[in-house]
Amino acid sequence: MTEAALLRPALYPRHAELGAKFAAFGGWEMPLEYAGGGVLKEHAAVREAVGVFDVSHLGKATVTGPGAAGFVNACLTNDLGRIGPGKAQYTLCCDDATGGVVDDIIAYLNAADDVFLVPNAANTAEVVRRLAAAAPPDVTVTDRHRDFAVLAVQGPRSADVLAAMGLPTGHGYMSFTSAGDVTVCRTGYTGEHGYELVAPVGRATELWDAIMAAGAEHGIRACGLAARDTLRTEMGYPLHGQDLSPEITPVQARSGWAVGWSKPRFWGRDALLAEKEAGPRRTLWGLEVLDRGIPRPHMTVLSGDTPVGEITSGTFSPTRRIGIALALLDTAAGLVEGSEVEVDVRGRRSRMKVVKPPFVSAGVR
Amino acid sequence: MIPDDLRYTAEHEWVQPEASKVRVGITHYAQDALGDIVYVQLPEPGTEVAAGDSFGEVESTKSVSEIYAPIAGKVVARNDQLGDAPELINSDPYGEGWLVEIEPAEPARVDELLDAASYRRLTEQ
Repeated sequence: MTEAALLRPALYPRHAELGAKFAAFGGWEMPLEYAGGGVLKEHAAVREAVGVFDVSHLGKATVTGPGAAGFVNACLTNDLGRIGPGKAQYTLCCDDATGGVVDDIIAYLNAADDVFLVPNAANTAEVVRRLAAAAPPDVTVTDRHRDFAVLAVQGPRSADVLAAMGLPTGHGYMSFTSAGDVTVCRTGYTGEHGYELVAPVGRATELWDAIMAAGAEHGIRACGLAARDTLRTEMGYPLHGQDLSPEITPVQARSGWAVGWSKPRFWGRDALLAEKEAGPRRTLWGLEVLDRGIPRPHMTVLSGDTPVGEITSGTFSPTRRIGIALALLDTAAGLVEGSEVEVDVRGRRSRMKVVKPPFVSAGVR
Repeated sequence: MIPDDLRYTAEHEWVQPEASKVRVGITHYAQDALGDIVYVQLPEPGTEVAAGDSFGEVESTKSVSEIYAPIAGKVVARNDQLGDAPELINSDPYGEGWLVEIEPAEPARVDELLDAASYRRLTEQ
């Protein structure tokens, strides 16, 4: 594969000034961690105070026109009928034939004729392609990936920071409201109370500076995507490309709560209903390390000497100070909560306990 | 960040010759590239190592890096403080964050390692 030039977010100069180390995320060159910070400090800032992430690499797409919401509801898994305008919903774009997850998405319901989608950076073009190909003539699907910046302000002090900026803070979890041209969403992927601000890309720098200024007295830290990964893993939130993929269905990944099972239509419905009925051949579990090992993606999980699954996400939990993982475990192995397994960590056996995530209790509301 | 009085390897380890042994650690450059170090695996004292052997691991939140013996010999000490405080490698890589001490089989071989100027050129490439 040839390496295409990486896109840079509008805030790239700000990140560089803060001494960020950069890494490629879905075709974008994004901050991994910052000088003077590092994963542990940035992670702790979000759990204990407040952190700000530039997540402008996330995709943005609009679906507009008469019946736009109904069209989205007939494609994506979750039931948009469960929410009203001003609410957001976690949903999945599945392959119609296999039920495998093409992407996980947040859908913002503006109105019956206006839905804003935030897919993952790497999958945006594919999600837009699939929706556009299926859309009726009067529904328009537009890729607006580079038109908006997305800044996530996350942590127990996040409301204080937004209040100091004069932005609304009182709306409920998974709802959003507008303040001028900034949309303030009570969303995030850290497990903490937080907000995602969606703004025209030309406003990104001004907004970032305002967040940093207002956050100073609350101990705000610029946080990179490495900390976002440890934060989301502690919550057991899946990452597409690891815990969800076209080869992994929502039934296997325990994401059935994001499927509107009673809907007459959504992509993958037949395959997923059949799999749900028969029972999945493997299921996503959490693993907590009982010794000093740190599990990493693609390591083999063993019960005795029998391979029973594979790690999909694994890291060191800064909060718990142990290794934690998400792993797809074979149903046939008969593992249950509390079962002990081993993981081959580069030739050494590490003992782990099967658990149900989250690994850390959530404070999102 | 590259002390002049140490020797170095291309694998970003430093070596400090002492009377009958050498102290070994990873460089500032290496710890910075790894990020926050959360786990260290070191050989037991008494372990015989050949130059270039992988004899341990330094693991950060995001990645793991093998440590290679810079010189052949016997491991005579390891820094047990790192078990509870692996972050010492980040905060003081050339001091409190040392990894092991090796009694070299051929002490003169230390002179074949990179000097500070050569290592600096390597990290600036």
